[in-house]
Amino acid sequence: MAFRVVGRRLLRSKLLPMFTPASTLHSHATSFGFKEVNEEEKSQLVGNVFTKVASNYDIMNDLMSGGLHRLWKDRLVSKLSPFPGMKHLDVAGGTGDVAFRILETINSVNRRAIEDTLEDDLQRETQIYVCDINPNMLDVGKKRAQQRGLGDQGSLIWVEGDAEKLNFEDDSMDGYTIAFGIRNVTHIEKVLAEAYRILKKGGRFLCLELSHVEAPVFKQLYDYYSFSVIPVVGELVAGDRDSYQYLVESVRRFPPQEVFASMIADAGFQKVEYENLVGGVVAIHSGVKF
Amino acid sequence: MYRSAAKRLLPYSYFSVKHCLQTSRLPITTPRLRFRFLSSTTSDSPFPNGFNTNTNTTTSSSSTQTDEFHNPSDSGASRRTPPRANYEEEQARVLAASLLHVARLGWTEAAMIAGARDVGVSPSIVGAFSQKEGALVEYFMDECLKKLIDAIDSGELQLQDLVPSERIAKLVRYRLELQAPYISKWPQALSIQAQPSNFTTSFKQRAMLVDEFWHAVSDEGNGVDWYLKRTVLGGIYSTTEIYMLTDNSPDFNDTWVFLNERVRDAFDLKKTFQEVKYFAEAVGAGVGGSFQGFMKKGC
Repeated sequence: MAFRVVGRRLLRSKLLPMFTPASTLHSHATSFGFKEVNEEEKSQLVGNVFTKVASNYDIMNDLMSGGLHRLWKDRLVSKLSPFPGMKHLDVAGGTGDVAFRILETINSVNRRAIEDTLEDDLQRETQIYVCDINPNMLDVGKKRAQQRGLGDQGSLIWVEGDAEKLNFEDDSMDGYTIAFGIRNVTHIEKVLAEAYRILKKGGRFLCLELSHVEAPVFKQLYDYYSFSVIPVVGELVAGDRDSYQYLVESVRRFPPQEVFASMIADAGFQKVEYENLVGGVVAIHSGVKF
Repeated sequence: MYRSAAKRLLPYSYFSVKHCLQTSRLPITTPRLRFRFLSSTTSDSPFPNGFNTNTNTTTSSSSTQTDEFHNPSDSGASRRTPPRANYEEEQARVLAASLLHVARLGWTEAAMIAGARDVGVSPSIVGAFSQKEGALVEYFMDECLKKLIDAIDSGELQLQDLVPSERIAKLVRYRLELQAPYISKWPQALSIQAQPSNFTTSFKQRAMLVDEFWHAVSDEGNGVDWYLKRTVLGGIYSTTEIYMLTDNSPDFNDTWVFLNERVRDAFDLKKTFQEVKYFAEAVGAGVGGSFQGFMKKGC
């Protein structure tokens, strides 16, 4: 596994430009799982993956993570500490998992206990934007919002958009979350720069993402599980092996925790921290804008 | 405020930091140095609006001093150093504004959210504070300590005219009066301080406070005596703090009567200890004498 990655890296950094000089003039090669593809292609390929998996997305998440993804998302939202009147943007959150949790936290009894008329007004100002590049995922989310009775509150706003070119004004958001999404984008730097641009002073960036496991024995188990079990489960349940093969490969191509943290800091964020969950299977990175 | 912080920082910035790192777990025979470490670390953070300064020159010189000290170690990370200070600054600004809401909302996230709104920072930042409510209480304790030090340094308390027991009573009273405006919410602050995640910080802050009381009384004891005195004073401070919570008398008069009695008790206790010691010596001498006499007789 390690050799394979190293081999690919060498290939990408040294050999590829020699063999394909023409393509590098116009676009850079990027990774789609372990495959090298052109930048334009990647977004399309990722789009295909999510169009295919949208219908089975939730059941597959539960199967693959053993239900843990719910706890991870809860943890993400508790780290965010949402508040009434918040303007929040959840990117790549088409199915609404994170957005619903944020809204429920804000609506919870806990906050209501403070008898303050001001709070009620603020409650109405709460706006949670869910942005996803894939309309199929957004449809899943909208449907679930209706089922949960959150559809007609007006706090949830569904937007189709690209994380690299957000359609929001500068300094307009209190919070920005991206859960299991940043791995799939073509330019992580651009996404981070956009996040920085739209956040208000004091606004927070949080990213939940599958990451790298370092603990020796656990790493082998995890690799076995990723490469041997997940694609098979994907084939059996969703009838789609390739998409899940892409999923586990793309996790390996994602920068390790420390590197990603320094990328966030380079984008201008301060107090950049990360927390590993389940030994690094997922990591929550956070930063504050000033 | 800046004046005192800078004054403490300037001649000792290198020595005190180094010293403290090495001896933080050993018996502290030079508590003044340990205290200077506190002021050098907190002097960078800004102060609430009440603390205006007209001595900016000393402030800047103190900060250059700190920079000189830090430069060799983290010159590589210098690109990231200024933003971090900036974040601390913003956090302190938010917390200072939050204190205005504590009387109404308590030591809660709601107070901090309101505070953040007041200073024009997104309330989102509250989620980034490592201890949430704990951060607010910690900030308040630090601010009170700074005010106390300023009051001592400026001679405002006129301690030099008083005997030690009166000095202590006056200092404890001055410190407790600083938290009088928050008295209705203070039980909540105490419970936050007692939470396991905040306990180490709050315990350290209390130890520093008691240190500062004794410095102001110019007590330079050492060894076991040093610990004993601080423990006793810590006890007096804490019991008075608790007493104050249920005191409804005007201007907390009952509390101050209570405080004076406890301080008197402590000083009486000190006397009693000495008397017991003398008595024991006398008894020892007596018994020894008669034992010697007995032995002589036996011979």
